[in-house]
Amino acid sequence: MADKIIKFKNVKKTYSAELKRKKTALTSLSLEVEKGEVFGIIGPNGAGKSTTLKILLGLVLHDSGEVSLNNHDPATPASHQHIGYLPESPCLYPNLSLIDHLKFAGKVARYPKKLINTRIDELLHLVNMTQAAKTAIGKYSKGMTQRAALAYALFHKPEIAILDEPMSGMDPIGRKLIIDIILEYNRMGNTVLFCSHILTDVQRICNRIGVMHKGRLATTLNSSQLSSELELEDIFLSTATK
Amino acid sequence: MNTIFAIASLTYKEGLKHRVLFGVLVAALFLMTGALLISGFFMRDIVKVLIDFCLSVTNLGGLLVPFFLTIGMLTGDRDKRTIVTILSQNVSRTQYILGKYFGLSLLTATIMCILAMATYFTLLGGSLLYGEYYFKSLSLYSVATSIVLSYVGISILNGVVFLWCTLTTTSFLATLLTIATYIIGHSIDDVVRFVESPPPGVTVATSIVKAVQIFQYVFPNLAAFDHKLTAAHGLAIPLIDSALLCGYGVSYIAFSLALSVIIFSKRDLC
Repeated sequence: MADKIIKFKNVKKTYSAELKRKKTALTSLSLEVEKGEVFGIIGPNGAGKSTTLKILLGLVLHDSGEVSLNNHDPATPASHQHIGYLPESPCLYPNLSLIDHLKFAGKVARYPKKLINTRIDELLHLVNMTQAAKTAIGKYSKGMTQRAALAYALFHKPEIAILDEPMSGMDPIGRKLIIDIILEYNRMGNTVLFCSHILTDVQRICNRIGVMHKGRLATTLNSSQLSSELELEDIFLSTATK
Repeated sequence: MNTIFAIASLTYKEGLKHRVLFGVLVAALFLMTGALLISGFFMRDIVKVLIDFCLSVTNLGGLLVPFFLTIGMLTGDRDKRTIVTILSQNVSRTQYILGKYFGLSLLTATIMCILAMATYFTLLGGSLLYGEYYFKSLSLYSVATSIVLSYVGISILNGVVFLWCTLTTTSFLATLLTIATYIIGHSIDDVVRFVESPPPGVTVATSIVKAVQIFQYVFPNLAAFDHKLTAAHGLAIPLIDSALLCGYGVSYIAFSLALSVIIFSKRDLC
């Protein structure tokens, strides 16, 4: 049996906003991701996908249930050395350059200075950003920012990549580049947790797909079982309209 | 510790690139030059006016950090979600708070050092322009001590801003609370003195006296760090007083940051 690198067991999360009604994001989420697989999460807006990722990143604290990330509590920074996160709208510091960000990632990962520079060169080449490395992030296009954020997320060679809509707003060339990087990263034995609304991307990249609805995992599918792109769309729509 | 330094360095770089900082620094230097001309109207008190003016501008430059940069950067990190950039790495929330604090303190120190240099050159220019006779009472040691104490006072305010930013959800509320802290911090001594020994014919309710006495310990006594007048009159600021004030400042900062860390570690961040 393969190792379970990400585990959610009966996880509940309710957001309480001042003077507003409480909003339940996760009702009872149980989910397991195996080491080395590409697991895709799809679901309609408000299904709880982003909350699931935020809990894994330790940004949001769950109310009850159990969560483990490579056998660590995700709220502890020790678990973060295993993950690389690419958000839907990358939120890098607009006044700083990609080099500044990568140097920061290197220092935090406690890389020696020489190794930081080598890794920066590697990553700039990988995401094709060598020319713009010293330009302030605020001057980047959406696609460039996404590629810069991917380089930042992968700096410390994490075992798990958490990607939230990694291809949103990118042109076909940029999308292909990101898909190739994800697939290559997975071929090296790493795990990818992938969230997207673009079903064709999910079906193309993922080994397994989880469909979330109303704060829980409604169903899990193996990509190989799906005969066509339309089948995934049908399953998605029938789950979302339940 | 490396992680805290890395965050501090990132914060410092980010702070240095804020346009507002350059604008106000240029304005401050311009004001100091203007002070040279204005002080000419007060022939017998040239040095007092110059020192008072320059130290006020230095203090104002330092105050830019807690009022604009700290509030802007902390709430901006949350609103624009740049906090995710830091916390998605191997960084704890405690390291985030401490790193940000040290970065912003370093930024305050840089601004105040630049303005302190400008103060020195303004005084030098004043002595050349009006003659050394008027500058006999000048004590550079007192001026320097006053700037250092002013820096400690601003660092305390910076620590309190961290507390307000972790406690509230909007920059508006954090700014209001910071303004209130600043006003209370600069007037609490006078208010305590007034309620404890009111003028004849005035009675103050015991509950108010108690409340004011509690406020005195809860809010930082920022007025204690204001030694502009002492320096302007060329009087010495005893070393023991400075050391005690620094001790009080460090304790208050540690307390504010510890509370900020506790609150911040229990919050949902996005």
